Amino acid sequence: MAIFLQFITGGLFFGGMYTLIALGIVTIYKSTRVFNLAQGWMVTLGAFMLVSLVEMLGVVAGVIAGLAFGALLGLGIDRLLMRPLIGQPLTTAFLLTIMLAYIFEGINILVWGSFSYEMPVKLPGEPIRLGAVVISHSLLWGIGVAVLAFAAFSLFYWRTLMGRVMRATAEDHQTAQSLGLPVKGVFSLSWMLAGMLSIVGGLFLGVVSGVNMLMYGALLGAIAVVLLGGLDSIAGAIVGGMILGLIQSLVVGYLNPSLADVIPYIILLVILIIKPYGLFGLVRIERL
Amino acid sequence: MDRPAGVFDIRYEQDMAVIRTGPQWIVLIGFLIFLAALPVFAGSYFLSFMVLTGIALIAVLGLNILTGYAGQISIGHQAFVAVGAYTTAVLMDSFHWNFWATVPMAGIAAAGAGVLFGLPSFRLKMLYLTMSTLAAQFIIMAFFNHAFPDYFHAVSGIRVNRPELGGIDFRENEAFYYVVMGIAVLMTFFSRNLIRGRLGRAFVAIRDNDLAGEVIGINVSRYKLYAFAIGCFYAGIAGSLHASYYRMVNPPQFPIDVSIWYLGCLIVGGMGTTIGVVFGVLFLRIIRELVVFISPILGSMVSPIDAPKIGPGLGLISWALVVVLFLIFEPRGLAHAWEVLKSRFRHWPFKYSL
Repeated sequence: MAIFLQFITGGLFFGGMYTLIALGIVTIYKSTRVFNLAQGWMVTLGAFMLVSLVEMLGVVAGVIAGLAFGALLGLGIDRLLMRPLIGQPLTTAFLLTIMLAYIFEGINILVWGSFSYEMPVKLPGEPIRLGAVVISHSLLWGIGVAVLAFAAFSLFYWRTLMGRVMRATAEDHQTAQSLGLPVKGVFSLSWMLAGMLSIVGGLFLGVVSGVNMLMYGALLGAIAVVLLGGLDSIAGAIVGGMILGLIQSLVVGYLNPSLADVIPYIILLVILIIKPYGLFGLVRIERL
Repeated sequence: MDRPAGVFDIRYEQDMAVIRTGPQWIVLIGFLIFLAALPVFAGSYFLSFMVLTGIALIAVLGLNILTGYAGQISIGHQAFVAVGAYTTAVLMDSFHWNFWATVPMAGIAAAGAGVLFGLPSFRLKMLYLTMSTLAAQFIIMAFFNHAFPDYFHAVSGIRVNRPELGGIDFRENEAFYYVVMGIAVLMTFFSRNLIRGRLGRAFVAIRDNDLAGEVIGINVSRYKLYAFAIGCFYAGIAGSLHASYYRMVNPPQFPIDVSIWYLGCLIVGGMGTTIGVVFGVLFLRIIRELVVFISPILGSMVSPIDAPKIGPGLGLISWALVVVLFLIFEPRGLAHAWEVLKSRFRHWPFKYSL
């Protein structure tokens, strides 16, 4: 029972991290219809950047500078790479994000090398003891932040004017443009939000499991989360993330640890065959 | 078909021909003679470059049929190469087959795997299908990593012997070069002709508008599976040659990075053109060799701690950046640039061009 509880918290934590990445992908996909495959790589780049920034500036200033870096990264991708592709087929933008992932990986290797770093941030609090079970407070922080991010994004999309503008843009770019909505601004904002989310994800993932090149493999699994929850669903991101995190943790714990890397893709394949638009995704009807 | 002024077709065969004029025949035959004579004067480094380029060319030709013509973007192509490589390796290692018999089997096995992972294409398209090929990459590689350890020997790898035929020993790179280049030329010819027929036109119709294609009577699901089967058949052949070139097969040889590198070759060359595949593969292979050449020089300029980072880091950035630049500035790739060049040359001194 005690071990089961630990697997559950571990699973929920990784579910939370998946949620943060999936939220970034969903935010971009909702407004720009571009699937950002590089989101996991952005998280890793963000984590490495945070290590350097926190060492230079201290914890608070470092994290704030990191968030600014994330926003700038998103803005840069949108203005320099995505803006020239407006009018091109969407697959072009998708292919570009794949290539972008490898540029990020190359930058990581060039600047930080393929070493393992420890995130120099201590989260406040003590590990919680429930009888024989010790639950790390870092895990709880991660879960909490993921839930908080989900709540904040839901509120933003459904309760604020800008959120409404973003949903309108997601519905149809041309209509939104002709109604006078700042479509390009919405694109930039989505990329900036995704960039900042990747920094948050990088921070908590870095605190718990260290910052290294192995993060890519783990983070690519978040794609399964996005498809499981539905490509344009904020709620899907957290539900899918938690489901995947729990399944992965339990299978690794009870069945076979070597399956860890494949599980997201098996789930991905199953969901694609059974319910391609995901649990909460919008089913688009195609017309000639 | 673009051709010089004064060349007229008076028979249907002429209108169908790929090679139309005398000079084109001369260039083709000259090029084939050049390829055949290469081992005589090329060094071993250049020869191994050409062998690896030939293997990559075969794989990317397959990806071109699947992605360039049929429009099904695949980011798991290297996994199908792995299926081919493992078929050859296991058949030779555990069942003592002759290498030459395993080559077509490798193609067929990879085609079978391709059809299996192409099955979701009945319901899926575009992005969603790409995701299923991503799943294919990881599931196939996990299969080779964990299943049947008696056959796949994931930890130690499988040793593969180079073939022998009619007294010629292909253990020498010079001899093996002829095997790879012969198959590569044959496969290029095959792919060029395959897509000119009904099959190729059906693929293009599916790529350009699958609903419209279905309305005019193309069985979209079936032709998508054909595309997967043919594309992965090519990958399997490439895998078979890969296995016997390296004389060793183990899972780390087939990462997703290479799958995406293949896709990069296709983008740089120009999707949906045969000449583009050749250009793209050559271009990115040359960039890779340049990085190998240049990184020790750069490494000697920085501190010894930073030196080992430069090779792998620059290796990734260089080709990915090239592909990004092509996507933004020349999405039709080198094949289009080549057409523009030819058109300029033909119309000189007039400004008109493509």
